[in-house]
Amino acid sequence: MSVFAVAMVAVMVTMALALVRALRGPTIFDRILAVNSFGTATVLFISVHGYLAGRPDFLDLALVYALMNFIGTLAVLKYLHAPGLGAADLAPPGEEGP
Amino acid sequence: MDPGRGGCVIDALIDVFLLGLLVIVAVAVGQSRNLLVAVMLTGIYSLLSASWMLVLDAPDVAYTEAAVGAGVSTVLMLGTLALTTREEKPGPALEPVPLVVALITGLVLLYGTLDMPAFGDPASPVHQHVAPHYLQRSGEEMGIQNIITSVLASYRGYDTLGETSVVLTAAVGVFALLGGRRRRGAPVPEAEAP
Amino acid sequence: MIVEVVVGILLGLGGLACITGAVGLLRFPDVYSRMHASGVTDTLGAGLVVLGLLVWAALGDGGWATALAEGHAEAAKPGLLQSVKLVSILFFLWVSGTTAVHALAKAAWLDGLVPWTRDEEGASSTR
Repeated sequence: MSVFAVAMVAVMVTMALALVRALRGPTIFDRILAVNSFGTATVLFISVHGYLAGRPDFLDLALVYALMNFIGTLAVLKYLHAPGLGAADLAPPGEEGP
Repeated sequence: MDPGRGGCVIDALIDVFLLGLLVIVAVAVGQSRNLLVAVMLTGIYSLLSASWMLVLDAPDVAYTEAAVGAGVSTVLMLGTLALTTREEKPGPALEPVPLVVALITGLVLLYGTLDMPAFGDPASPVHQHVAPHYLQRSGEEMGIQNIITSVLASYRGYDTLGETSVVLTAAVGVFALLGGRRRRGAPVPEAEAP
Repeated sequence: MIVEVVVGILLGLGGLACITGAVGLLRFPDVYSRMHASGVTDTLGAGLVVLGLLVWAALGDGGWATALAEGHAEAAKPGLLQSVKLVSILFFLWVSGTTAVHALAKAAWLDGLVPWTRDEEGASSTR
C-alpha cells in the first residue's frame, strides 16, 4: 500500500507543477502543452488510485480520459489553425499562417 | 502489502490536494481575461472534478464528467469562441448584485450541508428507507428482472429522460456549430511537390 | 516480498520520471524545449508506472499469474482483465500523447514561434 501512496504523491506533484505552467505560460501553446501533461498525469492518478483503494475496476475511466485528453487537445489546435494542420510541407515561420 | 484502504494520511492528502486545486483553478478561470485560456482551465477543472468523483467512489458520474466536461463541453465552448472575440470586453471592477446573490446562495448551501449524514453512514435515511424499498418491492411493483434497470428506467425515469435529452442537445449543438463552420471555412491546402 | 520490491522500484522510478518531466516543463526556456520535457512524462513516466501496476496485477495479491500457477482459472479472470486494460491505457497514452504534442509543435510553428537560442533572449510572440 505504501508504494502506491508514494506513486500517488509523485503524480500529484506532477499535476501541481503542470498546473503552474498552465497558469503562467506566456503563450497559448504553453498552456495547451500543460493541459495535455495534466491529462496524462490524471490518467496515471486514476490508475494508481484504483490500486491504492483496492478497487482496480475503474481502469475504464482512465482509458476514457486518455481519449478525451487527446480529443480535447486536438480540438483546441483545430480551433487555432483549422486548415493548416493537415498540410504536408512547412514554410519558415511567419510566411504561412492562419 | 495490503491493497485495502490503509493509511488515512494519503487519503486526506488526496482530498485536500484535489479540492485545493479545484479552488485555485476556479479562481484562475474567473480572473483570466483571455477566453481561450478560460476554456482550457475549464478543461482542467472538469478533469479534477472527475478525479474527485472517482475518489468518492462514484465512477458513473465520473465517466459522465469526463466525457461531457473534458470532451464535449470544451469543443462546444471552442465553437462558441469561433463566433466571438477571444478577449473579454472590460467591464466594471465590482458588480455588487451578483456578488451578494452568490454569497447568500453559498452560505445557504453550506448551512444545508451541516444537516447531511456522514459519508457512507448506514443509518442515513437513504439506506434505511429508500434502498430497502427498491430492493424488496421492485419485483412486484415494476416487474423488471434487474433492479438497477428498474431504478434507472422506472423509479427514476424522469431523471434518465433529462440526461438523454442533455446528451442529445449537446450532440446537436456540436454538429450545428462545427458542421456549419466547416462549409464556410477555407479549403484545406494541397501538399505541393518539392 | 520480492514482488513488492520490484513494484516499488518500478513505481518509484516512474514517479521520479513524471516529476522530472514536470520540473522540465517549468524550467525550460521556450515552448519547444518544454515539449521535450513533457515527452518524458508522457512516455517514460507513464510506461514505468503502468509497468509497475502490471507486475502487481500479475504477481501481487490476487494476481492472475499466481492464480493460474495454482490452477484456479476462474480467479485469474479479473486480474487478466485489469492487465488488458492497463496495456490498452499505455498504448493509448503513448500513441495519443506523442501525436498531440507533434500537432502542437506544428501549430506553434505555423503560428510563427521561433525556437529559443542562447544569444537572443526568447523571441516568442505573446498571446
